[in-house]
Amino acid sequence: MREIGIDTRALEHPEPLVQATKILQGLTEDSYLYMLHRKKPIPLLDLAGEQGFQVLSREDAQGDWHILIAKDPDIDLEALLRV
Amino acid sequence: MFSQNGLSLDQAPPISVVFRFFALGALFGLLGGGLVFYYQSAIFDAASPAALTLTHTFTLGIMLSFMFAALFQMLPVIAGVKLTAPVSTANFLLYPFAAGVLLLLAAFNMPQQSWLFGAASLLLVPSLLWITLLMLSKLVRLRDHSSSSKGMLIALLALGIVLILAFYMTLSLTGYLEGSYYPEVRTAHYSMGLFGWIALLIISISFQVIEMFYVTPPYPKLVRRYLPLTLFGLLFVTTVAAFWLPQLWVLSHILTALLLVGYAVLTLRRLSQRKRPIADATVWFWRLGLSMLLLAMTTLVVYKLTGTALFGNLAEILYPAFALSIVFAMFYKIIPFLTWFHLNAQGYFAAPMMHEVIHPKTAMKHLYIHLTTVVTFLLALFFAPLLFISALLTILSFGWMLWQIVHAWRLYRHTQKTGEKFEMNIA
Repeated sequence: MREIGIDTRALEHPEPLVQATKILQGLTEDSYLYMLHRKKPIPLLDLAGEQGFQVLSREDAQGDWHILIAKDPDIDLEALLRV
Repeated sequence: MFSQNGLSLDQAPPISVVFRFFALGALFGLLGGGLVFYYQSAIFDAASPAALTLTHTFTLGIMLSFMFAALFQMLPVIAGVKLTAPVSTANFLLYPFAAGVLLLLAAFNMPQQSWLFGAASLLLVPSLLWITLLMLSKLVRLRDHSSSSKGMLIALLALGIVLILAFYMTLSLTGYLEGSYYPEVRTAHYSMGLFGWIALLIISISFQVIEMFYVTPPYPKLVRRYLPLTLFGLLFVTTVAAFWLPQLWVLSHILTALLLVGYAVLTLRRLSQRKRPIADATVWFWRLGLSMLLLAMTTLVVYKLTGTALFGNLAEILYPAFALSIVFAMFYKIIPFLTWFHLNAQGYFAAPMMHEVIHPKTAMKHLYIHLTTVVTFLLALFFAPLLFISALLTILSFGWMLWQIVHAWRLYRHTQKTGEKFEMNIA
């Protein structure tokens, strides 16, 4: 399983969403997006969920958000979460 | 980029909803410019029909339109509140609201036609109270509240109070009520409207967007948790207590001013702590707006302490300048983003990028126009003929804004008609 990681914590809005949507366009069955963000990116989560992606988001103890998005519905995103 | 259907209507605010409220606000802005031409220096007499008309063109026609545009956009994005059937919801508000504002403005100029106040109330109060209660009910039911969503809830509560107080006033003016408490209600109405609604909504949204848009350290927890509640509590207690002790408003206004000065200084400090050194027009609009708020509150305190009319007039110009600067900052973030986002969500992978929807230099030019407008209004206090230039610049400023909306909308429609779609092939 190939991780495509992006750390958008230092990026100004809407650059995180722009980068994430670009990655989602090219996401394959054997890859997933692992995104770090300062905030819960509601538009991205809505958008990915609407399109049938599997989505997982979790806040860590520092207040950063870990967002995992995969095309394959059978991938265990919980197991890939680093929180 | 995504499926042919794009986002469902309850997943994201439809672009047309936000566009039409921004466009309505800009149209009222053009009217405001025309009114300055018409009334000239009479606008500086706070009790005159000219000042009342211009004030309500600003607070109702311009600001309320813009703030509903922001609320329709921001509630789902930063509070996770989904308004069902947002297009019809927006239309139920938009048309009675626009007609009601025009009737109210006419009523101020034809006080002998008291039915105009009644007709304006019939259009404005039910539509605005309905949308306020609708948004409030959604916010109350939220499980996970942020400081922004809590602040929005309190600001909407303040708007509800403003509307009820306004209803009392229009009923008094039409003769249905005796209006014994008219002076007390009037002070409570504008205080709650200017500080409890406009300032509080801006503060609440800023808790989220300053950090999110500009990568700054967050506001201190104490400020996020207690500032909206303190501000609203202060205004609410004064509203009630001032029926017995009207002088209390002087103290309340001074305390409100101090709270807002603190907020302005803190936000300016946060903007100076940005990680990115380059400042675009929206950062400068925020800085300008906050500086105007700082000056407006300082002049308000001086006016309250000395009674010098000039300081009152200065505050009356600087406060709208603050609110409009923040609206313009939000506008130049929201319109390009929405255009790009909705086209992407509908699958147009050749969707124009945000800088192609509104070029950063275009926003910067508007900043200069806006700044010059404010300066000419301030100078007009000393040299009234300058109001001709202020009026022209006001029309240019809102015309500029309207053109950006039309341009973004045409680009959006053009991409929809001619753009190539991307297939995601998700089951």
